Amino acid sequence: MSTETTVTGSLGVPMKRKEDPRFIQGKGNYVDDLSFPHMLYMAIVRSPYPHAEITNIDTSEALKVPGVVAVITGKDLEAAGLGWLPTFHGKDKQMVLAIGKVLFQYQEVAAVFAETRGAAADGAEAVQVDYNPLPVVTDPFTAKTDEVLLRPDREAKTNHIYHWEVGDKDRAEQALEASEKRIKQRMWFPRCHPAPLEPCGCVAFFDTMGRLQFHVTSQAPHVYRTALALVTGIPEDKIHVISPDIGGGFGNKVPVYPGYVCAIVGALKIGRPVKWIESRTENLTSTGFARDYHMDVEIGAKADGTVTALKVSTAADHGAFDAAADPTKYPAGMFGIVTGSYTFPVAFAEVDAYFTNKAPGGVAYRCSFRVTEASFAIERGMDILADELGMDPVELRRKNFVRKEQFPFPSALGFTYDSGDYHKTLDVALEKIGYPALLKEQAEKRAKGELMGIGISTFTEVVGAGPSKHFDILGIKMFDSAEIRIHPTGAGIVRTGAKSQGQGHETTWAQIVAEELGLDPQHIMVEEGDTDTAPYGLGTYASRSTPVAGAAIAMAARRVRERGRKIAAHLLEVGEGDVEWKDYKFQVKGVPSKSVTMKEVAFAAYTNPGQNEPGLEATQYYDPPNMTFPNGAYIAVVDVDKESGEVKVRRFLAVDDCGTIINPMIVEGQVHGGLTEGFAIAFMQEIQYDKDGNNLNTNFTDYLVPTSLETPHWETASTVTPSPHHPIGAKGVGESPNVGSPAAFVNAVVDALSPLGVRHIEMPVTRDKVWRAIRDAEAKRGQS
Amino acid sequence: MNLQYSGEETITADKATVWAFINDPEKVGRCLPDVVDVTVHDPTHFDAIAQVGVGPVRGKFKFKFELLPDAAGNRMDMKITGGGFGSAIDLTAGADVVDVGAGTTKLNWSGQAIARGPVAAVGGRVLDAQAQKLITQTFANVRERLSAGTG
Repeated sequence: MSTETTVTGSLGVPMKRKEDPRFIQGKGNYVDDLSFPHMLYMAIVRSPYPHAEITNIDTSEALKVPGVVAVITGKDLEAAGLGWLPTFHGKDKQMVLAIGKVLFQYQEVAAVFAETRGAAADGAEAVQVDYNPLPVVTDPFTAKTDEVLLRPDREAKTNHIYHWEVGDKDRAEQALEASEKRIKQRMWFPRCHPAPLEPCGCVAFFDTMGRLQFHVTSQAPHVYRTALALVTGIPEDKIHVISPDIGGGFGNKVPVYPGYVCAIVGALKIGRPVKWIESRTENLTSTGFARDYHMDVEIGAKADGTVTALKVSTAADHGAFDAAADPTKYPAGMFGIVTGSYTFPVAFAEVDAYFTNKAPGGVAYRCSFRVTEASFAIERGMDILADELGMDPVELRRKNFVRKEQFPFPSALGFTYDSGDYHKTLDVALEKIGYPALLKEQAEKRAKGELMGIGISTFTEVVGAGPSKHFDILGIKMFDSAEIRIHPTGAGIVRTGAKSQGQGHETTWAQIVAEELGLDPQHIMVEEGDTDTAPYGLGTYASRSTPVAGAAIAMAARRVRERGRKIAAHLLEVGEGDVEWKDYKFQVKGVPSKSVTMKEVAFAAYTNPGQNEPGLEATQYYDPPNMTFPNGAYIAVVDVDKESGEVKVRRFLAVDDCGTIINPMIVEGQVHGGLTEGFAIAFMQEIQYDKDGNNLNTNFTDYLVPTSLETPHWETASTVTPSPHHPIGAKGVGESPNVGSPAAFVNAVVDALSPLGVRHIEMPVTRDKVWRAIRDAEAKRGQS
Repeated sequence: MNLQYSGEETITADKATVWAFINDPEKVGRCLPDVVDVTVHDPTHFDAIAQVGVGPVRGKFKFKFELLPDAAGNRMDMKITGGGFGSAIDLTAGADVVDVGAGTTKLNWSGQAIARGPVAAVGGRVLDAQAQKLITQTFANVRERLSAGTG
């Protein structure tokens, strides 16, 4: 029956991204591109004080500014019951506009609505706010003393937010005591910021039916809809959230920010559309930061290098509100992955979080909820242990890796790693980088007094939150969803609850559907981000798209296939049980020549379905049985200039194992992007506060983003160990390079400096820090 | 960011004249460098708008002044709060008014500035130069106007 040409598979094909033509032609549709009749612009008045009582707010001069239509303050919102906003973590709340006092510099104090963006800015400048400065707390260790209580609004009169722990403390401490070798190192993963190229923004208006139309840069549109319904009291059916194209998110566009609530209130109060687009400074200073973990890492080992125990104690700086956006039961996210790729028989991790007078956040910046911090801790720790033992860090890792036959592997901190072949992945990396030759070169250079370093990081991630028995946000379980409709001509549309911010979903989702149904991926349209049309999902962050939404798509496609099988049986005039799906088509078992393609089945579904239900579509909500555990072996090679402290990254190789690869070109692009961010975090970026609480990195001249001039050349490779529980074996890769690379960079620099006696250096590893480390080490050696 | 300054100005005017001058809000306000406008509320309170430029942060800053003369007429303290473009600058300044004879008076002054917001992020040297200008130039202007007899 079939006269179709042979359909080949779509999985693993380096298909060019379907979305790119519109992006590279400047035809993307971002929030700031939107314009509606009679639209107003909103500007936010922000506090220059990090901690101060507000004694008066005078809006009278602002209202005289030509073009200014209205000004709202915290008192206005409080009167409407909208003074506070629940954070996604669900156990704290955040002021929308400051009420009574401000708790961090650049906190939102008032919102000004005007006919033009300029008038709104002028109006904001004219709002007079009187402050009475209060003592400032800028680190968790000072916060811990409770000498200055930052949040008297809370029932617990302390700056301590929570204590979280996992593992067996007593056994871990006993094992550490009994260890033949033991290391302990304080390391700080500094506060950094996702800094997406497109800052946050929205347009809000109420349509003629009184329905809120909310266009917003959101990584999780459905969660926004539910959260807005809960916060504002607007029935959820009267809220339509639309996330158009998004210019990068990296976790920054998961939380609901005060500006969004203000824009909605303004639109409701004034009866006109309101646009709010934040500036770069507003983005860097007030929206979700990442990391800021002070970690004490202890590892015990036998003299031969076999690890015996791990203990990590962390002080976390959460800023003014607990807005870390972690799953409810996991206030410190997936920090339990801190045992990494190694078979620790016993481990213990604890995190104590504190309020400070800094911006709130702690978002999962291109990582699955605190996985980057954990990976950095263990990968730096293993290098320090290797140094203590006088062992090659490669050999130490190899000795302690989880072996491939041990999977599924129960970690000492409660995860069940799904799959991996760590030895193979490392071997591929060592072979590709030419490790023996590098060691020889390093020895020769050291003999001449030159500083060359080789840094290894063999990390394991935990991504794809997550199984509903463990994971929820605001009580909503962290499943995801897909709806597939195949049209009569064999084209189709897939909708998911995920939301691309540049990951290439329009291509990879089409490839999954095409692979499962034997269709042309060029004619599978992908639609996301519209809560009126997409099935409910928790969005895209924490590397959950492919592990959860991608799985839902594959499973929905299989449901479509099962419906197609009935129609195929009708067309082939055999019983359904005699039809099998093979070589991307339905065929009669044992009679390959008697077959029909999905395209033919699709046409029949609308023209000749027989006794079967017409149409060809399916919806799937997917609750993953486990997380996925991507892993990799990264190697950095650096040269350090002894005189200037300048670090040159000569080579960097990333070998990733993300399970089944959907599109190798997109994976490579993801790895390049993540490595560039990891490089920036390791060497350039920090959101610094001075002791008075001033944010010192408020724009891209102070918060550095690497250009092509600074960015090293990236070498990439892969191994493939499919996830046994994911429908197509995929694990997710977008975050691996950001998770795994900082430790490789720092390990390489410390390795270069180790002949001088340097054991650790804090990020960002700037030239002056390296210069000082060299000078301090030389001075110490001179004294001894 | 916390900045501290001190200095002295020798003024060719007697102590009573100097004291009268520095107790006049309109006159003190006009001594602020690049002042655009002065609004006097009462004998010890006034607002001043001045043109300020700290790195990329440039524009009109609005300051509130409070004069705190001591009863004996020997010392004048000032509290200045204000800012603009999202920045805040709090200044406290004080001057001992000393009769050094021959119709000459000395102002021994010291000041402290705390900057917050974008101006604090532009870096110490740039901010230091501007804050120093704000304080030293104000006292220098007091001297010039009194010495020139325009007070």
